[in-house]
Amino acid sequence: MNATSEIQRQDAIRVEGLRKVFSGFQALKDISFHVRGGEVIALLGPSGSGKSTLLRCINHLEEIDGGRIWVNGELIGYEEHGAVLRQMSDAAVSAQRRAIGMVFQGFNLFRHMTALQNIMSGPVYVLKAPRAAAEEKARRLLAKVGLADKADSYPAQLSGGQQQRVAIARAIAMDPKVILFDEPTSALDPELSQEVVATIKTLAEEGQTMLIATHEMAIAKGCADRVLFMVSGELVEDVPAAEFFAAPRHERSRQFLAMHG
Amino acid sequence: MSIGVIAEPVRVRIIRRRRWGAWLLGAAVLLVLAIIVVAGARARIIDPDVFFHYLTSGEVLLGARNAILVGTVSMAVAVVVGLAAALMRLSGNPILTGVAAAYVYFFRGTPMLIQILFWYNAFPTMFPRLHLALPFGGPVLVDAAMPAVVTPFIAAVAGLGLAEGAYMSEIIRGGILAVDRGQQAAARALGMTRPQMYGRVVLPQAARIIVPATGNQYIMLLKSTSLASVIGFLELLRITQGIYSANFRVVELLAVAAFWYLVMTAVVTAIQTALERWFPVR
Repeated sequence: MNATSEIQRQDAIRVEGLRKVFSGFQALKDISFHVRGGEVIALLGPSGSGKSTLLRCINHLEEIDGGRIWVNGELIGYEEHGAVLRQMSDAAVSAQRRAIGMVFQGFNLFRHMTALQNIMSGPVYVLKAPRAAAEEKARRLLAKVGLADKADSYPAQLSGGQQQRVAIARAIAMDPKVILFDEPTSALDPELSQEVVATIKTLAEEGQTMLIATHEMAIAKGCADRVLFMVSGELVEDVPAAEFFAAPRHERSRQFLAMHG
Repeated sequence: MSIGVIAEPVRVRIIRRRRWGAWLLGAAVLLVLAIIVVAGARARIIDPDVFFHYLTSGEVLLGARNAILVGTVSMAVAVVVGLAAALMRLSGNPILTGVAAAYVYFFRGTPMLIQILFWYNAFPTMFPRLHLALPFGGPVLVDAAMPAVVTPFIAAVAGLGLAEGAYMSEIIRGGILAVDRGQQAAARALGMTRPQMYGRVVLPQAARIIVPATGNQYIMLLKSTSLASVIGFLELLRITQGIYSANFRVVELLAVAAFWYLVMTAVVTAIQTALERWFPVR
């Protein structure tokens, strides 16, 4: 093993020179950063700055147009053959995604499954875990997010905050190395947001590596170690959270903070 | 001023508006129905003895059985072909998408009757022998004259099943498209492969939309089996026609055929209702 791959191995997420183009529009421009294991990163920036696209590139839901992404030292979506990156098979990419949890703005719980079945779906269908063990774990995770009594409720019977907590439990059930949050509270009113923020805080205290795109300052201030600030597809700040809130360097960051407090 | 004393609740009686127009219309409809039934009974358009005699006669039951057989096998073919065409259409691959679109255009765009005649008459002329062998001098699997292979039953199933498959493909595609895209993203993010995503997440939700329309198509297809009479397939309508052309009891025999089509429809409706319970609205 050479030195670079050793460094990559220590990082939970490493992104180098990432570019993404949507029919002529540069959504991500040469993004580079890294996330160490156990770190919580707040990904901030105005709407349309590329936060969601960045997250969707990390688990290869979007195909990238340049650069490389590693999660836990594994190159995502491609096999490296010298100077050539060859895209992996569907099955190989799917296997890589097992280690990368994702929580969506719109929750995206499987509507035909109960809360319990949603949480079991990953372990049972993807990891082929025995049903009984998966169910026991799912019940434990439901209790952890404070919804032990909602095991048999369908998503439509749950409030937005409850749905999002089930969605977080569904992500954790896979024991992911990192969890990507795509504006987890943006579809919730302030009161329901707090339930979700509290759940995310608990995970942060447990040392879960998380990359959280958000407009919720309670998450950015309360649990983030570092802030990544994006403006129109560019990463303009990558600083410790305390520094970002005390002394934002970029003009656009100052405007953003003035708006969001 | 602070909140005053809450007034003593007054008991009021609620009178709902009566929909007089609907009731009057309903009464008129019943009256018309009664007039028709009484007129029919007076004219003795149906002789009950003849009706019941043929209702359970061996020939008629054979025709009904054949209608159910061809209709059901064709529907099974249609569901499989339709699902494949729908997934091809959604695959994003230009060749698969194009082939699926062309299939739907041709098979939905030509009358079922022409398709049945094509499979029975034109196809064996185009390919007189069916010869299947393993390559490189391997053993011959099938070798037969095509007209012997394409029986009226096979031609009817090919004609009805492939035509119906074109409709089913659009119904299934519509059902899949109606499932929120976020469901697919969530399934993929969990690490499901494409087949797992369709099998576990997308199709079970699309089924809620697909099932009622499929019930409709199944019923339509059972009645369309009468088209197979043109290639000499012994189905219900052809058999009843054969009987009344000999004894001239046209109304009774058409009523017998209608009765069995109604029985089939009732059974399909029951299956559809059960499937809708299996895939409830969530």
